[in-house]
Amino acid sequence: MNINRFFIGLGISCALVFTTACDDIIDVEPAYQKDKATLFKNLDEFEYALTGAYANFRQTGYYGNGSQTTGAFSVLPDMMGNNVVETNEELGNFISQTDWIYAADDNDISVTWQAAYYIINQANQVLNNNIEQFNSTDQKRVNRLRGQALAIRGFVHFDLLRYWGVEYNRNSTALGIPYRTSTDHEEKPTRLSVKESYDKILADLKEAETLLADVDKAVNTASNRSYIDLLTTKAMLARVSLYAKDYAAAEAYATAVIEARPLASKTAFPEIWKDGSVSEVIWSVAYSAGQGNPANSLYAAANNRNGYRPSTAVEALYDQANDIRFPAYFASISRSGTSRRVVNKYLGRGTAKDNLVNWKVLRTGEMYLIRAEARAMQGGKEVLALADLNTLRAARINNYVPAILAGQDLLAAIATERQKELFAEGHQWFDMKRTTRTVNRTDCGSASQCSLAPGSRAWAWPIPQGEIIANANIRNQQTPGY
Amino acid sequence: MRKFVLIVFAIGLCLAQHAMAQSRTISGKVTDQDNGQALPGVSVVLKGTTTGASTNADGTYSINIPTNQSGGTLVFRFIGMLAQEVSIGSGNVINVALKTDTKQLSEVVVTGYTTQNKRDITGSITTVKAAEVSQVPLASFDQALQGKAPGVLIQAQSGQPGAPAAVTIRGKGSIVGNNSPLYIVDGVQISAGDFSTLNPADFATFSVLKDASATSIYGSRGANGVIVITTKRGASGKTRINYNVQHGFSKAPANKLEVMNTEQKLDYELANGNPYDWTDEDLARLRNVNTNWEDVFFRTGKTTNHTLSASGGTDKTVYYLSGSMFEQTGTVENTGLERYTGRANIESSAGNFNFGLNSTFGYSEFTNTSENNSTISTPLNAIRWTNPYETPYDEDGNYTEIVSGQPNALQELLENRYLRQQLKGVGSIYVSYAVPFIEGLTLKTNWGGDFTANETNNYIDPTTATGRAQTGRSGSLTRAYSRGFRYTGTTSASYTRDFGTDHRLTVALFNEIVKNKGNNFGYTGYGLGGAFDNEAGITPGTTDNGFIPAVNGNGSVSALVSYFTDIQYGFKDRYFLSIGARRDGSSRFGADRRYANFGSVGLSWIVTDEAFMAALRDNIFNELKLKISYGSAGNQALDSDFAPRELFARSVYNGVSGLAQTQLANPFLQWERRTTLNAGFELATLQGRLRATAEAYNSITSDLFLNRQLSRTSGYSFLNSNVGELRNRGIEMSLDGDLIKTADFTWSANVSLTYNQNEVTKLVGEDKEIENGIYINRVGEPMNSIYLVRYAGVNPDNGDPQFLTKDGEITSVYDPNDRVIVGSIEAPFFGGFGTSLNYKGLEVSTFFSFVRGNEIYNNDRSNIENPQYLWDNLATSMLTEWRKKGDITQIPRPDAAWYNDATTRMVESGDFLRLRNVNISYALPQTLVSKLHVESIKVFAQGQNLKTWTNFAGFDPEISTGMLTGAQYPALRTVTFGLNVGF
Repeated sequence: MNINRFFIGLGISCALVFTTACDDIIDVEPAYQKDKATLFKNLDEFEYALTGAYANFRQTGYYGNGSQTTGAFSVLPDMMGNNVVETNEELGNFISQTDWIYAADDNDISVTWQAAYYIINQANQVLNNNIEQFNSTDQKRVNRLRGQALAIRGFVHFDLLRYWGVEYNRNSTALGIPYRTSTDHEEKPTRLSVKESYDKILADLKEAETLLADVDKAVNTASNRSYIDLLTTKAMLARVSLYAKDYAAAEAYATAVIEARPLASKTAFPEIWKDGSVSEVIWSVAYSAGQGNPANSLYAAANNRNGYRPSTAVEALYDQANDIRFPAYFASISRSGTSRRVVNKYLGRGTAKDNLVNWKVLRTGEMYLIRAEARAMQGGKEVLALADLNTLRAARINNYVPAILAGQDLLAAIATERQKELFAEGHQWFDMKRTTRTVNRTDCGSASQCSLAPGSRAWAWPIPQGEIIANANIRNQQTPGY
Repeated sequence: MRKFVLIVFAIGLCLAQHAMAQSRTISGKVTDQDNGQALPGVSVVLKGTTTGASTNADGTYSINIPTNQSGGTLVFRFIGMLAQEVSIGSGNVINVALKTDTKQLSEVVVTGYTTQNKRDITGSITTVKAAEVSQVPLASFDQALQGKAPGVLIQAQSGQPGAPAAVTIRGKGSIVGNNSPLYIVDGVQISAGDFSTLNPADFATFSVLKDASATSIYGSRGANGVIVITTKRGASGKTRINYNVQHGFSKAPANKLEVMNTEQKLDYELANGNPYDWTDEDLARLRNVNTNWEDVFFRTGKTTNHTLSASGGTDKTVYYLSGSMFEQTGTVENTGLERYTGRANIESSAGNFNFGLNSTFGYSEFTNTSENNSTISTPLNAIRWTNPYETPYDEDGNYTEIVSGQPNALQELLENRYLRQQLKGVGSIYVSYAVPFIEGLTLKTNWGGDFTANETNNYIDPTTATGRAQTGRSGSLTRAYSRGFRYTGTTSASYTRDFGTDHRLTVALFNEIVKNKGNNFGYTGYGLGGAFDNEAGITPGTTDNGFIPAVNGNGSVSALVSYFTDIQYGFKDRYFLSIGARRDGSSRFGADRRYANFGSVGLSWIVTDEAFMAALRDNIFNELKLKISYGSAGNQALDSDFAPRELFARSVYNGVSGLAQTQLANPFLQWERRTTLNAGFELATLQGRLRATAEAYNSITSDLFLNRQLSRTSGYSFLNSNVGELRNRGIEMSLDGDLIKTADFTWSANVSLTYNQNEVTKLVGEDKEIENGIYINRVGEPMNSIYLVRYAGVNPDNGDPQFLTKDGEITSVYDPNDRVIVGSIEAPFFGGFGTSLNYKGLEVSTFFSFVRGNEIYNNDRSNIENPQYLWDNLATSMLTEWRKKGDITQIPRPDAAWYNDATTRMVESGDFLRLRNVNISYALPQTLVSKLHVESIKVFAQGQNLKTWTNFAGFDPEISTGMLTGAQYPALRTVTFGLNVGF
């Protein structure tokens, strides 16, 4: 009938008039992000991805500071030790860490866990998108990109091991960390043993060492040390070897770095902390305006808020008149007419007071301390160890008279020097975990907990609740005690 | 197109030949009996045949009657009017005046593309009269709908002038997707939650579409319900001018979360170790100060509203024009809204063409302050946190520096400026064509857009704490511009025809395109503090001054395309069937998952029109309609327009731009689908004086968007996947009755009630629960259930906090494994009720709304029950802190190991009852008014949110997110006085 014909006609007309146009209308493309399908077609795009991996180091769960979660690998290790002390100006945002009362549902721990793997995932983007296809045409450039990505992957896994590893011995079968080498988000990895974790960390770092020895162009410049080059990789290997108690390797790698990059002069040293000098800096993570900062949870210079002040005990360790580190690290700044001691190390660049500075991850001072400790622990090298200690002190202390120490005294002196030299640089908690597994806070401030015993579960962080829920393979591998 | 015209033309020829039989012509005019105005669009049908016509814009019609039918009857039918039958006599002219149908089922309901008589509707639609909304002194109309419609939960969230409410229709159907309904104004989709630049006084009708049958024509966006608004139309005849003015005052409501006064706080500090080491001298000085920080921040807000409108027109063209000015200062210093709107609605007809334009244009200036967070620079938090022995100013009138290290909040509020200027235009044009050679066929195309531009101007003064925290430590100026444009184009062909006396069929085919585009850019400049507080005050950045400005820009785009049909069939004018079917494509899903089909079917039956009900019709059931519907609707409202794709975004390191992965690939992401079964009845009894509707529904969201947990070693917590299932089932009812009705006096009352039960029925694979902070989604429980360790008060022996284990035993050890579900943030039971008295021209009405059964996590209280924060002000409850053995209290000893607020200690009931609105109005008698040479004068006074009954410890329990994070900007208590004059 007519009506039927009419509707058929109308249907055809809709199809004719609209179909092509209408279906095109939903074909829209993102203009402000890139779809993966369009990426990794040339080495420039791998270069972009590597830049992204570096940028991810600034996350608040990693080096960046935030109001709820703060730099787990920048300021937090000192806040968890006894170098700095919580004050009344702090609002208790970090006490679950700094008073060691965390459980598996602790949010900050979960943020740090994920932030670290987020960097690793980005490094794996460089490694896993068939960059090998350019091997034949651009081998050295591929080496430069892959070398950095592998070093990032190895180093971040090592940082994870520092918090989550149940212990640090090279061949320990205790629980270590999951090691991620793919970008498959469905993967549900298990925790490796500490030994297996070290195996993979060292393999990545050593491959990076090989690759970065043969690159198309220099990774860093004379005035900028923001990227991981061959020297940085060796410094990373020195640190990892010390934790693993592979003292020979630690000594060798530290020596390689020291020879290439000597200690800063006394005039250059204070400038390191204002980014006025890259003297003895091996690798620092670059911060620019608007990208946060790595240290304002200690002393927020912008609004003069002193959340964690230096402890009186740590200040007492220095030769305050002669040690150039003392004025570079500590100062008195008043608020409402009341003077307070503050951590002066990260105020800002030049005269700025905004905590905007690069985060110094590795520098030569640490290399001397690694070598001194490695030599003192090896036996037969105490004289060399003492020489390293004296060289470092002489570089930092005016009118320094070399000390003569041996045995336990020497080791204790190296440990104390480590505390003084690397104050607020993200080492203390791990150094304590590595050695005494004891925290005593003689100057306890607002903290509710003033000491931590070696047997505490807190020495190794719990696997976050979210990971336990999502990953059946890790469910039975919770850190002991949680 | 050419082919289409050919086909239509061919069919047209066929039909035209049909009509060439022998006949005579009857013509006439149809008018409205009430006012004598012409009625266009009235259907005129020769009873028992398919022969029919409809009236033109001037109300005239003409119809050809076959000679053999000369003794027949003409039926005149129009929505909202009683049908009238007239026998054809000898004359060739039949004029008819139709009477308004006052029965409930004769109400006209706007369903979006069409208007329908309420008796025909098979779905669930509630209408709210525009008059109930237009006079409420709130800039955002959604707030005024609270409690008015069953099934619709509206929570204010904030009292900031212009703030939108959270609107939920029949329970949240999506866990991670958007739950906001679709808003349609004159056929054009407008952005949800952004209404304050529209003038509610321009609105004529609100229809809330709730089930699948009702929302079927919006199926791709209708899963959360649809709110359809039409704006006022002109009426032909004399030009009518109306002026409405309102003035009013607002105050902050009473506060139930008390903080300590100076005496209490100082004594508390002394009892807890005198942390500031106050000397006796200090104490003597401080005890003389007692600042109530509520008084410092709150003031009396003022509201002024003027609306002037004109409407009129000729037989062919009608118009409605309006202009308005709305000014509201908030109850918090330095907050407010100024709004200016204009509207022009014009409709015209020429022959078989009808065309029209609906357009509005508005400009608003919002001055806002941050709220509901726990940031120290948020000024309102000072009401809780700043010590009472502090003052905002010193003796010299300078801002003080707060001893505890907190910013001076008044300085933050007054010196920083957060200004947003919004330009909004919503408009649509349509052309419809009544195909002359096919009776009942109408072609229509309607195109409209919603344009919104926001310009932000945030000045951060260098002297404030926020200003010192800016890059370069010297304030900042942020200027930003964002622009969003969405167009909706709907093209349809609709055919309506009566077959015989008993059958009426409407079939409509639609094509619709919706495209959404947004872009923004902005900059933040630093180094303010010179001579200017505007762009001229920015110090250009150099390598060493630290003032390098930040610039940004972003944009997105999404689109929808739909083909659908809507079929309505009526039999004997008492059995109705409606069918909707559609196919939708969305740009938001993966290439293979873009298209989905939805459909619905609905039935209704006017029981009282049956012969066997005749006996009851005049006594018990004046009207009774039963209805049932079943169908599905879709949801594609995800946060990201490009959710299925693996995306890389710009990432900058060491001054070099790169790319970082920001989103995982998700190619299987597809439409969320909500399937609803709805059944109900509509009843009028007691000679129409009592009207009731009740409906029950069961709606299941399948392919539910859910955050499927990923191993965090992927760098991500979850991936949004279509894995779950959620059920909302409930009953809702409304009652509306005239308790007393005489010529001069009416007393009426109304009630609307909703009970909604929300339940998660399926999660990812075998998983039975997904945790998310303090919430959990667990199979068999409502979504967003609060999942915490139960707090068991304080151990009287040692002052330690105690908890309940999972098994209900008291323990002093906090263990996350002891968490249990203690309630949901989703409100199951809510509604409103009101009454109104009308005596001659005087009317008094009141309206209450309530919510029961939801829980709120009060983090605002947690912040001031934390003994760690001894340095700042605390709640008076802290005075009951455990001090000695035997103390029975809820507040542990201050030096207890750990202040753990992740327990039920901070969970409170969200129940409240609120006197939402009281309105007293008086229309001056006609005798008096005519002496003044005006048409009408009405004076009125109203009060908004005058009283709230709740146990919630805060300003306002209307919190849709389930968590009060920090101090909130409370809902305004407003009293206004107004005058309405018609010329």
